[in-house]
Amino acid sequence: MSSRIEVPKPQTIDRSRLTYVKGGRPLLVKVPHPAKVDRNQLNYLFSGDSEEVGGIDIPMPAKIDVSKLVYTFGDREIVAPKPAVIDRNTLVYLSTGGVIRAPKARRINREELEYLPKKLTIIEQNVHSPVTPGQVNFPPFEVTPELDKKADERIAQYPDDQSRSAVLPLLHEVQHKFGFISPESIEWVAGKLDIAAIKVLEVVSFYPGFRQKAPGKFHVRVCRTLSCAMGGSYELMEKLCEITEIDRSKEDGHKDTISVSPCGNYSVEFAECLASCGTAPVCLVNDDFHEGVTEEKAQALLDSYTS
Amino acid sequence: MSDIKYLPGKEPHANEHRLIFKNVDREGWDTSIETYLKDGGYEMLKKGLGMEPKAVTEQVKTSGLRGRGGAGFPTGIKWGFIPPNNTKPVYLICNGDESEPGTFKDRYIVHQDPHQLIEGMVISAYAVGAHTAYIYIREEFPEAAITLEKAIAEAKEKGFLGKDIQGSGFDLEIYVHRGAAAYICGEETGLIESLEGKRPYPRIKPPYFPAAMGLYMAPTIVNNVESLCHVVHILRMGGDEYVKLGTPRNSGTRILCVSGDVKNPGYFEVQVGKVTFRELLYDMCGGPKDGREFKAVIPGGSSSKILRCNESFKIGRGDDAKDLSFWDLPLDFDTLAAAGSMAGSGGVIVLDDSRRMSWVLNNITHFYAHESCGQCTPCREGSTWMKKVSDRIEGGKATPQDVETLEQIAYQIDGKTVCAFGEASAWPVEAMIDKFREELVSATSEDNDFKSAERKAQEEFMSAVNV
Ligand SMILES: Cc1cc2nc3c(=O)[nH]c(=O)nc-3n(C[C@H](O)[C@H](O)[C@H](O)COP(=O)(O)O)c2cc1C
Ligand code: SF4
Ligand code: FES
Repeated sequence: MSSRIEVPKPQTIDRSRLTYVKGGRPLLVKVPHPAKVDRNQLNYLFSGDSEEVGGIDIPMPAKIDVSKLVYTFGDREIVAPKPAVIDRNTLVYLSTGGVIRAPKARRINREELEYLPKKLTIIEQNVHSPVTPGQVNFPPFEVTPELDKKADERIAQYPDDQSRSAVLPLLHEVQHKFGFISPESIEWVAGKLDIAAIKVLEVVSFYPGFRQKAPGKFHVRVCRTLSCAMGGSYELMEKLCEITEIDRSKEDGHKDTISVSPCGNYSVEFAECLASCGTAPVCLVNDDFHEGVTEEKAQALLDSYTS
Repeated sequence: MSDIKYLPGKEPHANEHRLIFKNVDREGWDTSIETYLKDGGYEMLKKGLGMEPKAVTEQVKTSGLRGRGGAGFPTGIKWGFIPPNNTKPVYLICNGDESEPGTFKDRYIVHQDPHQLIEGMVISAYAVGAHTAYIYIREEFPEAAITLEKAIAEAKEKGFLGKDIQGSGFDLEIYVHRGAAAYICGEETGLIESLEGKRPYPRIKPPYFPAAMGLYMAPTIVNNVESLCHVVHILRMGGDEYVKLGTPRNSGTRILCVSGDVKNPGYFEVQVGKVTFRELLYDMCGGPKDGREFKAVIPGGSSSKILRCNESFKIGRGDDAKDLSFWDLPLDFDTLAAAGSMAGSGGVIVLDDSRRMSWVLNNITHFYAHESCGQCTPCREGSTWMKKVSDRIEGGKATPQDVETLEQIAYQIDGKTVCAFGEASAWPVEAMIDKFREELVSATSEDNDFKSAERKAQEEFMSAVNV
C-alpha cells in the first residue's frame, strides 16, 4: 500500500506547515497520505489498473486533476492548486492556473532581524543640529497651513521667475517659529521654492543669523565689537554666563556660536556691531533691543525674562 | 521748525542742523502716517511726481548730494548710469544693512521715521524709473522690519504707494527684505546676491556695476537709507538751496555718530564740513571722560584709518595748502581723504589714553576675520592671519617681527580683492601700525621667538665659547 501521493512541484499550501527546501533544487513538497479522499471531486482518467486504498478498490488513475483534489489531513482540509514553479528571487508562484503573488515571508523572526541604520541624507549629514537643553522650548518642525500661507506671501514679493529670492524670508519664518533651522525645514524650503536643497543649506551655513540648533527660550546676543567692548560687553557676557551657568568653552567661533544654559531657558551668543555704539554695551534678547546694559544690569535683564 | 520740541535730555546741540533727524526723539512723535501727514509729510512726493523724472535727477545732481553709505559717491551721477536704451525692469534698493562698526544713524530713521524713508524712496524710484523697490534691512533690526511693513501698508492705503500713485500714473511697490547678520551684505553687490537668495559673495566690478547689471541682472540703484531721505529735503529746498548747506563739494547735512571714550556719545546732524573735531568732541560730546585724555579717533567707521589726536596734516594743494592740527580738521569727505583717512559712514569712534592699541587692533581684526565672505584668497586668508598675529600681540606672545608681518599681510590684501572689504579690513591695520608702531612693538618681545632645541643648544655652546 502506497503511503504517499506525490504531488507535482510546489503548490500553495497551508503556510503554517509548508517546508521550503532551499538550495536551488526543485521544490518537492511531500504530502502525507490522505486520511480521506473526497471521491466526488476526483477526476479519474483511467489507466486500467486499480489499487486498494483503505479497503476500497480504486482504479489507478493515469492522471489526477490536482486542482480539484481535496486532501484532508486529519481534521484539516487544504486545496492544493496545480503545480507551480517558484521563482526564488521574487517568490512569484507561476502556476498553470495563472500567476499568484506570494506574500513576502511566512513569519518574521524578530530576534534574527538585522536592522540597517537609517541612511542620513546629505543635508542631514551637513546640518549641525545637536540636541540642546533649549529644544524643549520649540515645537518640532511641521508644515502648518499658517506657515505655508506666510511662505506664499513672502514668495509673492519677488518676480515670478525669481522665487529663490525668498530663501532668507522663508528661513526667517521657520527659525522664528521652530527656534532653529533643521534638515527637514531645509528640505521644505527647497521644495517650496523648487530649488536644490544645497542651495538652501549653503545659505543657512553662511549667515550667522541662522541657527542650526535650538537656543534657549531667551536668546541673548551681546555685541562684542569695538565700542561695546570698550563699554564692557565682554564683562557683561561673563556675568550673564555666570548667572545662567552657561559654559561657552565649546563654541568654535564660526559653526557653533551659541551656548545654552543647562535649564534650557537662556542662551548666549556674541554678535558683531548692532548699530547702537553710542549706547554701548548693547544686546538683543530674542527680538527686544537693550542699550546700556553694563555688567551690573545683567541680573535685572535676566530677571525680566523668566517665563 | 522752532516749534518742534524734543524729549527731555535728547535736545539737539546748538551746532546741529536737523533735516533727516528732525523727527528723531521729537516730543509727541510716532511712526504712524497720520503724524507724518500732520507734519506736512508726503507733500514732496506729490511735488516730485508732478515733475519730469529727469528733472528730479537734475535737482539731486545740483544738490551735490554724496552717498552716505560709505563711499561718498554723488547720488545724482549714480542715477544717471542706468543705460539709456535699457528695456529691463529697473530696481531701487535701499541699503539698510547698517553694519559698519561705529555707525548708528539709519537705526533711528527706520525705527522712528519710516515714512520719511518711504517718501524718499518713492521720489527716487520715480526718478530712476523703478516700479519695484526693496528695503534690505539687517536682521538685527526686527522691530524696524515690522515698523516699515506697517508704514508701507499705511502708505499704500493712502495712495502713496501701489498703483497710480496720487493719480500720476506711476506705480511702485516697496518690499522689506531682512538680511541675516552678515556685514558683507552691506556691500551693494553682496547685498544684491543676498536679495537673490544666495550667499552674499560680492560681484566683481567691472562689469557688474549695479546701475547696469544689478538685481536679476537688471539695472539697479542701491542707496543708503540716509541718502534716500535726503532726496525729500532736496526737493523741498531745491537743489540750489540745498547745495548751500555744508561746504563746496561736500554739501548738505550728515549724521555723525560718536561712540567710545567721550562724556556724551550720540548722534549729531551737522552741515558737512562745518564742524571740526574740536567742536565735535569737546563742545558737542563734552570732552574726554574725567581724568582722561583723547588719544586717537577712528573717523568714519571701523574701516577708516585711525588718526592720532596729536597729529597735524597738510590739507589742500599748491598755494591753498595749509597745515591743520587734528583738532582743526573739519569732518568732510575731502578733508578726511586728504588726511589719509575717510569720512566713510560717519561713525566716529573715540579712544582715550586708557586704551591699549594692541587690544583695539585685536578687536577689529576679529571683526574682519569673522565677516570676510571667503570668496577671494587674500581677504579670506589674510583676515584670519591678521587675527592670529594680533592675538599673539595682544596675548604678549609676539616678537617685534610679528608687527612687520602683520603690516605685510595687510598690504597684501589691500587692492587685491573682489570687493572693498579687502581695503576695509587692511586699512585699519595699516594705519594702526603706522601711527602706533612703537606702542605695538613694546607689547612684543624677542624672547618670544620660537627656537628649536638644536638652535638653543647651538646658542648656548656659542655663548660659552665666547667667554
Ligand atoms: C564691506 C562694505 C560694507 C558696506 N556696508 C554698508 C552698509 O552697511 N550700509 C550702506 O549703506 N552701505 C554700505 N556699503 C556701501 C555700499 O556698497 C554702497 O556703496 C552704498 O550702499 C551706496 O549707497 P550711497 O551711494 O547712498 O552711499 C558697504 C561697502 C562695503 C565695501
Ligand atoms: S574682499 Fe573679502 S569680502 Fe570681498 S569678495 Fe573678497 S573675500 Fe569676500
Ligand atoms: S559696537 Fe556694539 S553696537 Fe556698535
